[in-house]
Amino acid sequence: MNQFVPPEIDWAALSPVLIVLGLAVVGVLVEAFVPMRARRATQVVLAVVGVGAALVAVAWRWVVVQDEGPTAVVAGALREDAPALLAQAILLVCAFVGLLVIADRSSGEDAFAPAAAAIPGSAYEAEARKAGLAQTEVFPLTMFAVGGMLVFPAAADLLTLFIALEVLSLPLYLLAGLARRRRLLSQEASLKYFLLGAFSSAFFLMGIALLYGYSGSVRFDELATAVPATSGLDGMLLAGVLLVIVGLLFKVGAVPFHSWVPDVYQGAPTPITGFMAACTKIAAFAALLRFVYVVVPGLQWDLTVALWVIAILTMIVGTVLAVVQTDMKRMLAYSSVAHAGFLLLGVIALVPSGISSVLFYLLAYGLATVGAFGLLTLVRERDADGNVTGEALHLSQWAGLGRRHPVLAVCFTLFLISFAGIPLTGGFIGKFLVFGAAIEGGAWPLVVIAVLASAAAAFFYVRVIVLMFFTEPAGTDADPGTTVVRTEGLTAVAVVVCAIGTVLLGVLPGPILDLTASATKFML
Amino acid sequence: MLQLLALHLLAAVAAPAIMRRFGRKGFLPLALVPGSAAVWAVVNTGAVVDGRGPTLDVSWIPALDMSLSFRLDVLSWLMVILVGGVGAIVLGYCAWYFASGAKFLGRFAGVFVAFAGAMLGLVTTDNTLVLYVFWELTTVFSYLLIGHYFDRKGARRAAMQAIIVTTLGGLAMLFGFLILGEAEGGSYTISELIAAPPAGGGLVTAAIVLVLVGAISKSALVPFHFWLPGAMAAPTPVSAYLHAAAMVKAGVYLVARFAPGFAETPVWQWMILLTGGATMILGGYRALRQHDLKLLLAFGTVSQLGFLILLVGQADRAVALAGLALIGAHAMFKAALFLTVGVIDAAAGTRDLRQLSGLAKHLPWATVPGVLAAFSMVGLPPFAGYVGKEAALEALVHLDDPMSVAVLVVVVIGSILTFAYGMRFLWGAFARKKGVPDTSVDKEATGLYVAPNVLAFAGLFAGLFPVAGETLLAPYADTYPQGEPGHLTLWGGFGIPLLLTGVIIVAGLLLMLGRTAIERAQELVSVGPDADRTYRGTMRRLDSISVAVTSITQRGSLPVYLGLILLTTVVMIWTSAYAGGLRIGALKPWDYPVQAGVAVVIAVAAFLTARARRRLKAVVLLGITGYGVVLLFALQGAPDLALTQALVETITLVVFILVLRRLPAYFSNRPLKASRWWRAILATIVGVTVTFVALVIPNARVTDTIAELFPEEAYNFGYGRNIVNVTLVDIRAWDTMGEISVLLVAATGVASLVFLRARAGRVERIRDHDMDRGSVWASDSPGDDALVRRSRTQPVRSTRNRRWISAGVALAPHRRSVIFEVATRLIFHTMLVFAVYLLFAGHNSPGGGFVAGLVAGIALTVRYLAGGRYELGEAAPVLPGLLLGSGLFLSAGAGAVPLAFGGVVLQSAVIDFHLGYLGDVHLVTTLFFDIGVFLVVVGLMLDILRSLGAEVDRQGEAEGRAAPDVAHDSPRSTADDAQPLEDALAGGGPR
Repeated sequence: MNQFVPPEIDWAALSPVLIVLGLAVVGVLVEAFVPMRARRATQVVLAVVGVGAALVAVAWRWVVVQDEGPTAVVAGALREDAPALLAQAILLVCAFVGLLVIADRSSGEDAFAPAAAAIPGSAYEAEARKAGLAQTEVFPLTMFAVGGMLVFPAAADLLTLFIALEVLSLPLYLLAGLARRRRLLSQEASLKYFLLGAFSSAFFLMGIALLYGYSGSVRFDELATAVPATSGLDGMLLAGVLLVIVGLLFKVGAVPFHSWVPDVYQGAPTPITGFMAACTKIAAFAALLRFVYVVVPGLQWDLTVALWVIAILTMIVGTVLAVVQTDMKRMLAYSSVAHAGFLLLGVIALVPSGISSVLFYLLAYGLATVGAFGLLTLVRERDADGNVTGEALHLSQWAGLGRRHPVLAVCFTLFLISFAGIPLTGGFIGKFLVFGAAIEGGAWPLVVIAVLASAAAAFFYVRVIVLMFFTEPAGTDADPGTTVVRTEGLTAVAVVVCAIGTVLLGVLPGPILDLTASATKFML
Repeated sequence: MLQLLALHLLAAVAAPAIMRRFGRKGFLPLALVPGSAAVWAVVNTGAVVDGRGPTLDVSWIPALDMSLSFRLDVLSWLMVILVGGVGAIVLGYCAWYFASGAKFLGRFAGVFVAFAGAMLGLVTTDNTLVLYVFWELTTVFSYLLIGHYFDRKGARRAAMQAIIVTTLGGLAMLFGFLILGEAEGGSYTISELIAAPPAGGGLVTAAIVLVLVGAISKSALVPFHFWLPGAMAAPTPVSAYLHAAAMVKAGVYLVARFAPGFAETPVWQWMILLTGGATMILGGYRALRQHDLKLLLAFGTVSQLGFLILLVGQADRAVALAGLALIGAHAMFKAALFLTVGVIDAAAGTRDLRQLSGLAKHLPWATVPGVLAAFSMVGLPPFAGYVGKEAALEALVHLDDPMSVAVLVVVVIGSILTFAYGMRFLWGAFARKKGVPDTSVDKEATGLYVAPNVLAFAGLFAGLFPVAGETLLAPYADTYPQGEPGHLTLWGGFGIPLLLTGVIIVAGLLLMLGRTAIERAQELVSVGPDADRTYRGTMRRLDSISVAVTSITQRGSLPVYLGLILLTTVVMIWTSAYAGGLRIGALKPWDYPVQAGVAVVIAVAAFLTARARRRLKAVVLLGITGYGVVLLFALQGAPDLALTQALVETITLVVFILVLRRLPAYFSNRPLKASRWWRAILATIVGVTVTFVALVIPNARVTDTIAELFPEEAYNFGYGRNIVNVTLVDIRAWDTMGEISVLLVAATGVASLVFLRARAGRVERIRDHDMDRGSVWASDSPGDDALVRRSRTQPVRSTRNRRWISAGVALAPHRRSVIFEVATRLIFHTMLVFAVYLLFAGHNSPGGGFVAGLVAGIALTVRYLAGGRYELGEAAPVLPGLLLGSGLFLSAGAGAVPLAFGGVVLQSAVIDFHLGYLGDVHLVTTLFFDIGVFLVVVGLMLDILRSLGAEVDRQGEAEGRAAPDVAHDSPRSTADDAQPLEDALAGGGPR
């Protein structure tokens, strides 16, 4: 019989994950033991400090890895290499600003239902609202999601990847259902996300089973060595790889696995949408990169067709559908689908610069996304009595915003032009890098489509800008209908950080490019 | 260089403040900013002509090969003077053009200066990527300028059109630059690209096409020409600047910049000839029929841009020199003409040439620049336009390759049209017309007249000294690859060029005279597809396509989403199965034929489940599939599995039914017939696929299964023969640990969802039952059959010996069943004993903590079903939390004990001892762990019964709404139509 050998565990290498998950657990205990009054403050501090500390830990590990080279952690279940750490850092940066938006209580209340289990519209819910209950579970849940996301880019075997996938997904399913307003929409979003997610997880597992059957291993490196060595089981390999990729593409929101994106983005509480849109995409793309770059090179010819079709569909569908949206969140949702398509270009390129370009793109996209959704939380409707109510998400409600609230509108414009990939913003550099990598990888027909899609995408981004600056607002000056609430400051900080980041990435991307340039190779 | 750009940036940022401070006169100090760029160029003239122009190379983003490299060569020098000079003059003009109270001037001025700065960077940089950055900046700023009158719908649409068309072109150009940079021998530095163009090949050809697409979209050449006339919705100074020196000149600049390196490529030549030629003729033709002076000029610009690109895009040096001269000439006369129109517009209040009359007399200082500039445009001596055109004709006449002949023909035709619309402009703007009274004009400030006159006279001046122009421009023209150097001169001697000029003038005059006929003819004949309409049609189609696609794919329907995902996955699996040869290995249909029978039963039940209309029916049928699996397990010789499965099925069924009481009896919203069919088909396909994969996977096993080790390992290390149980408590004890934690969480979760309000901190016993309070179960309006029974059982409280179960009295009499109560009384304790037996026997025989817990749970369920919620409290007077917690504690504790003896967590040990008459005891320590599992499972069951059963009952009572009796529902009494009790009592009426 085989003697069971406990794996050597390099706790230091795990420190970022441990910090985040540990504090998430502490957050659960806080829910149980800390008195109501102090609970929220404690949770916010815990979460923010936790993510910050994890970021510091990642930076420290980066230095170590630069010195000592990449290592396999926990008996090869995880890899600590430059792309993994960089992806984690990007993730933590976006999670940090995302958390600030989540923690913000504009107009005196946060974005979450006071009692999520209450039936929408019931008296109980009204009581809970009146009592000023707050759902501070949001913070540990977010931390758990971040923990899963941190593991995702580093996972080097399929089972770890799956567990990370679930750890990051389950809290998100829940968080999507917590919106304070439009409760039914939110719950529907949560349910859809969960059901569709469950199916894609099932496919993912089925793919793992096939790959295990093919190679006798779930480890990426052993899979990679098995690919050229094994013959006669190609169908199994191909089906397995495809199914695993389906699971990842679902998280990324690539067509045709995108259908949840608009509904969930719209239904989820806006701060969560921002967090989810940025961070899930970062984590999933980092994982997809590792899987594709490590496992797939041996069979790129067989997979190319599928990946090309998906990339093309994603770019076109995302762009074309975004054109007609009249809801801000849905528009941004489709735009994120289109961005997934652009990012896929870097994945398909299969050249070293593909890795670094995707990572850069993710950072630029993540910052702009969190910032944009953060701003959405501030623009509110006002009812007849002048009470501030839900977010003003219809396009027409944004008319003339630029004149009443120039700073907000300018920031939003900045994020939009970054999405559109106009120079001097991070979005442009990101697109440029990804397209460059795709050309280098011989995928120039894809770039042609990407260029066309970008041009069409400019249309709907610009339309919003036109609306904000060049259109007369609907209401009168006395009763504008749409108002901008004052924040506690957290969202403002987050938005400013995102805006500065977006500009810096566009104007002085040098240092970040140097970082990404050193992350061009996955450790086998 | 960078200082100049920084100056522009600063001025742009400061502009709003300046404009606030000085009002519209603030344009004058701002005009100094672009002016400084022109001055800088002029100062450097000598060095530039000698080829020693200033250069600068600052590293910006080395990783992308983006560096801020600038250089001032002859072409850049020319462009800087135009951009800066015309910019300054136009800005100066603005100081008088706008009304003093005009709004948003601060923004306008800032954007204008920024735009000039972007143009400055565009024409001086030597890096393709930086050029692209400036290119996009001009797009954005021009967009803001065109859309200045944002309250006009036309302006907004024009601005949008401009930005989309030019952004598309810009992206194409970027793509081209990318290819040129990445190609073999490529570079991101323009001068290197020109000096050594990357070796041919399809990719480089594609890159050339893409770069040219950028240029022609920016310069509004066919087929992108429609945006420029639209863009005249901008304020007139903006039009002047855009048309004369900036924006559209960027395209011309790009062509001139790249021509020395690429003009000999066939694809380049053809594209230049086709787009440039078509544009020159089409623009001139369209200009002939315009009534709006500004629009006339705008189409004139389109035509002229075609002309310019046609010239500077040729490979020949002499032609190029003519083209460069014309760039300068065009900047001066076109800006002058626009500004003149601005004056006319301001003074006369209209730009319609049918309404203007006699302005020559009333506006002499607008007439002078108008005439001078128009003469320059149509190419009359001694203006700059004449010099350029003459040089072009001269050069083209001397070339005899077919391409050049074609160019010559186009140029002559285009020039005739130019002459005609130029004259038409003069006639329309200034002549006194029959039947039109003299237009009354307002008096305009003198300052307004300065700018057009300066520009117009500059054109005259430049025309008078052609040699100077030749000296200055020749160095760049000489970098073109072919031909003799050309000359600029006012008098080229008699020859074909002069003859052609004569032809142009005569034909142009004829066209001008026949203008009414031509206008009428143009209205009748529409030439080819209208690009503007095509653009709008495309945009509309894009809109409608996305609406259509949205309505198909994004209707918010979960089945559709899911169907899409399933279908894709199925296609993927089958494609790869087909491509890679996925095979099912050897299959054995069955071990015993009975299995086939069971399988058929399961399949039929599953099918019927999917078809069932009624929830209860579906649940029961689902249960049948489950029990079928139990049979399969049993047939396979796995009694322990079969037992577990049977218990789980039973409990699932009970829980289902408890929940169903609160749900409508029928599945709602049945899908339509058609969608039911495709769903069924899709489900079948997915089922077949998953079965296929499920058959493939086990057959692909290459190594021995780990299960083969289990029997031996289980006995050697776990000291038990029941593999299932040993697996649970020893081999996979950690998993079990996780599972029971999850169970605990699940139980708590279910309970907290149902016990929303206050979770009862204590167990409700029968003594808590308030007999006086009406409760649903006690006073439901019974069915007819129940009424019959009521009379017999109603009257007395049960006496001691008639009480089979203690809390039965809390139930409505017609809910009670004597047989059930007796049976419960008889089997409850037996079941508990059986559970304990299973718990202890589990290590070697079928059983174990999990199974035992389930049996105990079923016993509790029986009590609840027979006696209602108070009976449950009587049966298990403990809080489920206590059971759950102590169970988990016991399991964890038992797992931790081995640590104290130097073992590892969850390690098993065996203790054998003799217990007198009871025999030998073979005690494995995992038993304690198993007891923990048992307690957790019992706790879970209790929690479920308490929440989904008892608490739901209680809430029903509180709301006065009866939980429907699913056991014998008739269509009359489903939850759908359950009446609130109080309504019934109060005599009806909605609450």
